[in-house]
Amino acid sequence: MPWLACNSRRIHYELAGPADGPACVLVNGLTQYVKLWHPFRDALVARGFHVASFDMLGQGQSDKPSLFIDQTDQVSVLGEIIAKLGERPIFVAGISFGGVIALRYAVTHGDRIAGLVPMSSFAEIPSQLYRLGAAMRTGLTLGGTTYLQDLLFPMNFSSEWLEEKSYLIELATHRGWLINDVYALANLMESFLDFEPLTSQLPSISTPTMILTGEYDFLTPRKLQDSLRVHIPNSAMVILPRAYHAFTLEKPELTAYLLAHFAEDVLGGRWPGNRTIWIGPEQVGGDLTPFPAEFDHLRAIPVRKAVSEPTQSEHAAAS
Amino acid sequence: MSPFLGPLDPDGCVPAHQQTKLSAFLMSAHGAQARQLAVALPWSLTDGWQVELHSQYCREIEILSLIARSTTWVADPALPFVLWQWEAAWIPQPAHGVADQSLALLIDLAAFGHALHSVIRPAALLPEFEPHNNAFALAMKRVEFESGRLMHAQIVFLKSQRLVPVRGAVSAAVERRHAQVRKLWDTMLNGMEIERSGRHNLAPAYQLKSAMAAIPTKIIESAKQ
Repeated sequence: MPWLACNSRRIHYELAGPADGPACVLVNGLTQYVKLWHPFRDALVARGFHVASFDMLGQGQSDKPSLFIDQTDQVSVLGEIIAKLGERPIFVAGISFGGVIALRYAVTHGDRIAGLVPMSSFAEIPSQLYRLGAAMRTGLTLGGTTYLQDLLFPMNFSSEWLEEKSYLIELATHRGWLINDVYALANLMESFLDFEPLTSQLPSISTPTMILTGEYDFLTPRKLQDSLRVHIPNSAMVILPRAYHAFTLEKPELTAYLLAHFAEDVLGGRWPGNRTIWIGPEQVGGDLTPFPAEFDHLRAIPVRKAVSEPTQSEHAAAS
Repeated sequence: MSPFLGPLDPDGCVPAHQQTKLSAFLMSAHGAQARQLAVALPWSLTDGWQVELHSQYCREIEILSLIARSTTWVADPALPFVLWQWEAAWIPQPAHGVADQSLALLIDLAAFGHALHSVIRPAALLPEFEPHNNAFALAMKRVEFESGRLMHAQIVFLKSQRLVPVRGAVSAAVERRHAQVRKLWDTMLNGMEIERSGRHNLAPAYQLKSAMAAIPTKIIESAKQ
């Protein structure tokens, strides 16, 4: 089992896939641990990727600092993992909290990576998300990890998925409770409730960036991902139809397909970027569809777009 | 080495010798915490933080009473030899680098409490897929659940503005207590052929095929009904 030493801390990581392919580093969400990536990882490996996944400080088998976790330490760990992968095209994909760490890395070390994929992520914490996070933290301390998971399941997944997997939810909750420690989760949650907004630094990211957002994600609504799109010059946002917050778990094959598609476009010099907005396919093998230019992509009802932002055809013309 | 206690006896209970060892450790640690809280607690409460201290003291007494009454105790000739080691470890050690000695002791008390309530997870040792409706198992669940709540007050104190000037000393004190409690806890568990880290080898339930293989058929059938 591979371990990495980083600033006197022990980090657990896994490598899979061909040694010579492009690499993809997966960065966990809050209550995630390495094993939860396996279906997603396997789908990427099948597409020729060398995949690295790791437990952040405070997660899974990595060291769990007892009282304080700094986001800069998490970024250092990600840097060490990337250094392990040597000279090859490296893509970094992080979900939710992990997306924040990936963004922070890209702000300072964007030249080291070929592409960035923030999923269900954010660069600032508006009041709604802050209050949700604070309430979840209180829930964690008063009701334990199980209570937090009870809150997160319906936030993360569709009713259809929850119904289909209903007989596994109890076991999933139990396993999550076994792996996660309350104090470590509380430290992780505090480390992002305290964090400084990243938005003003996003324009410095020149790396090709695909922002993935679930159509129905109400935990980190589309507006937060759209802010990434607006501020990262070479980005495009892809809306995953009928997806909630944790689509890497609910739709691993489809998400891996999109990531591989993105990597091919970047390596082939075809990445559209240019702050464009796309609708993802519902099935593996489907195409991206441009979001209708005349409509407001931030609304849930078809409202025509205000004139302040250039349309996609104007973007295309400009490029 | 297994990540769990057991194998369970025919009544579905944790074997008495494991109950005894586990409970002796818990009573030693929580007993020390209760004694230290009692010493720190004035008879007449004047400051707001003393109310929390009083609550902590009462919860620790509850935990001790619960463990003492729910455990099936048996003679364990090895216990006296390890008990002194545990008790010696819990002796208060003022946090290094804090000039105010009463504050240094208070930091150590909270650091010990934080380690005790976060590192020690007795309920996580109960075997999966068993009903666990006997007194000992329910007591272990209760101890772990209350520990999570008690820890919150220690976190609030250890991260308070008052301690910001001595944050390095606080961190060092908490890390030291964590390492100490973890070492003693793991040693005690290893003596019963239990390895905590084994829980990380369990497959996540999301991975349907491996999870299905891990769940006894009776559980799946009862969950589907």
